[in-house]
Amino acid sequence: MKLTNRQFRYETGESLKMALFQIRANKIRSFLTALGVIIGIVAITMMGTAINGIDRGFDKSLAMLGYDVIYVQKSSWSTMGQWWRYRNRPDIKTAYAEQINRIITENPRSELAIAVPQSSTYQASAKYRDRNLEQVFALGTNHNYLQTAPGELSSGRFFTAGEAASDEMVCVVGDDIASSLFPNEPVLGKSVQLKNRKFRVIGIFRKQGKFLGLFSFDNQIIVPLGAFERVYGKNMFSSIRVKMKEQTHVIEAKEELLGLMRRIRRIVPGKEEDFSINEQRAFKSQLDPIKNGIALAGIFITGMSLFVGAIGIMNITFVSVKERTREIGLRKALGARQQTILMQFLIESVMICLIGGVIGLGITFFITFSIGQLFPSLPIHFSFDLVFASLAVSVITGVVSGLAPAISASKLDPADSLRYE
Amino acid sequence: MQTPSIITMQSLSKFYEMGDQTVRALDSINLDFRKNDYTAIMGPSGSGKSTLMNILGCLDTPTSGIYELNGQDVATMDDDELARIRNKEIGFVFQTFNLLPRLNCLRNVELPLIYAGVAPEEREERASKALINVGLGDRIKHKPAELSGGQIQRVAIARALINNPSIILADEPTGNLDTTTSHDIMNIFGKLSEAGNTIILITHEEDIAHYTRRMIRLRDGKIESDVRR
Ligand SMILES: Nc1ncnc2c1ncn2[C@@H]1O[C@H](COP(=O)(O)OP(=O)(O)O)[C@@H](O)[C@H]1O
Ligand SMILES: [Mg+2]
Repeated sequence: MKLTNRQFRYETGESLKMALFQIRANKIRSFLTALGVIIGIVAITMMGTAINGIDRGFDKSLAMLGYDVIYVQKSSWSTMGQWWRYRNRPDIKTAYAEQINRIITENPRSELAIAVPQSSTYQASAKYRDRNLEQVFALGTNHNYLQTAPGELSSGRFFTAGEAASDEMVCVVGDDIASSLFPNEPVLGKSVQLKNRKFRVIGIFRKQGKFLGLFSFDNQIIVPLGAFERVYGKNMFSSIRVKMKEQTHVIEAKEELLGLMRRIRRIVPGKEEDFSINEQRAFKSQLDPIKNGIALAGIFITGMSLFVGAIGIMNITFVSVKERTREIGLRKALGARQQTILMQFLIESVMICLIGGVIGLGITFFITFSIGQLFPSLPIHFSFDLVFASLAVSVITGVVSGLAPAISASKLDPADSLRYE
Repeated sequence: MQTPSIITMQSLSKFYEMGDQTVRALDSINLDFRKNDYTAIMGPSGSGKSTLMNILGCLDTPTSGIYELNGQDVATMDDDELARIRNKEIGFVFQTFNLLPRLNCLRNVELPLIYAGVAPEEREERASKALINVGLGDRIKHKPAELSGGQIQRVAIARALINNPSIILADEPTGNLDTTTSHDIMNIFGKLSEAGNTIILITHEEDIAHYTRRMIRLRDGKIESDVRR
């Protein structure tokens, strides 16, 4: 009905004004009442911000690996730290890359685009004249490497197919290496020494930052695979990087690669494979316990403080109903319906909660902003989903805690409440 | 020809159970109010005046008997309908606590219009006119705390009139006022009556009652006398 619709709008407007009056008239009481909600919202938003931050930091790091790359390796990432389980597996041979490529080029329906071999060591030391860098990440691969790894060059170029095939002694270096070994001089054309071999620098990677805050791609030297083997031998840690055609078809791609590798390794059906196919998701799941822990603690604190807050609001709304019994009687005498009175008190408790929620959001925003300023490298992220979620939680808390007092107010007998002293 | 009845009460009773005692606040009352009646209800304290007024104003329902307002049986109405009747058909003036302290005069007078679903511009216009009519054109934005007792009662009268009700009910409207102010207020009621309004007021003061044209005396919940002048 048109009239009730309009009535509802005007009454709600009036209730909003009255709620503001009421809250302003009882500032301290309202603030104390909202404290539980404030703490609850701070807890829930801090939790969300932390989880968001972990996710984002992780995603950023994973992007460094390349989203569309899966790996053939000796051991599995998802059971990291259990190296003994994979100890007896045979090493991954770089030659598998060639075999895989041959098979997938013959199959137009393959989910796999290209396979690239790599051998690497984290223990390389790089020298230039009297300067020496330890714990450098040295990696041998072929000219297709950049198809399977993000990483732009800030100057120079990557090595060519020809250079890769003839094991040319050239290298492409990370930004940290370039700036540490050659602080104030041009880098391209200089020679970096790995063990007793010299490699001519032909390219420099753009700065990438740290992976998971631990390992840096700016600390790498990439050389042709044959050249790498000439320096470090053939028994270094090897794996195959395989680029997928469709980023979203991870499962199919893994399935196909698994089959290919079993064929290459000649593993009879029914026997467990002696290699692992890894993808980034495995990494990500390692963080789940941490995230769950934070979420659990956050939800617990939020739940407790919202519960206490809701009881406080319920209590104060009952007090408010009692104090304003005559007002309720008067309003009913003037034509307020039960629903009108109900809405008035609900709006009041919701508004207290919303104000609490906004204050809580403000506090969280301030805290995260400050932390972000103090530790710029922390992946802190304050999302709008969180704003929405906490406002929704505030409203729900307001409704839940205000409902019982509001109903009792709406059911008051008008004659009795007008007589109330 | 007689003017039609606005209100008819037939053997109307209101009992309160107090423990094992029954208080007969109203005991089988028969009453009839016609358009433009100007009535005073009198009686000693506890005689049932306020109870009668609450039932007349649809704030309370009788224990038994019939109450018809404009030909409609009030007993059959649900809560929302009663709220509508209070909003549209009845204008209340109470002895105390007539106004909401946080709202200014205009907002107080507007309240019944809000509940009636009247648009803001029209509300404001009608409310300020009503305030001007009771001589408070210069107090429109004042809060109740800034007004005298007589002015507060005038605001209440302005609000009681705002929806053009069928009857105006006033429970001891001059109970808290000095003599001069009481007579000012009674003059306003007199003018409203001349303008055709139907007014029922409760008082225990004889000289206030003498402003009216009909006097009903209650005693122990029964009508002792009902005199028209
Ligand atoms: N809510 C109630 N509960 C019990 N008794 C009541 C109630 N309201 C009124 N009464 C009793 O009913 C009688 C009439 O009261 P009331 O109508 O207020 O009288 P008056 O207004 O004439 O002083 C009194 O005896 C009073 O105590
Ligand atoms: Mg009384």
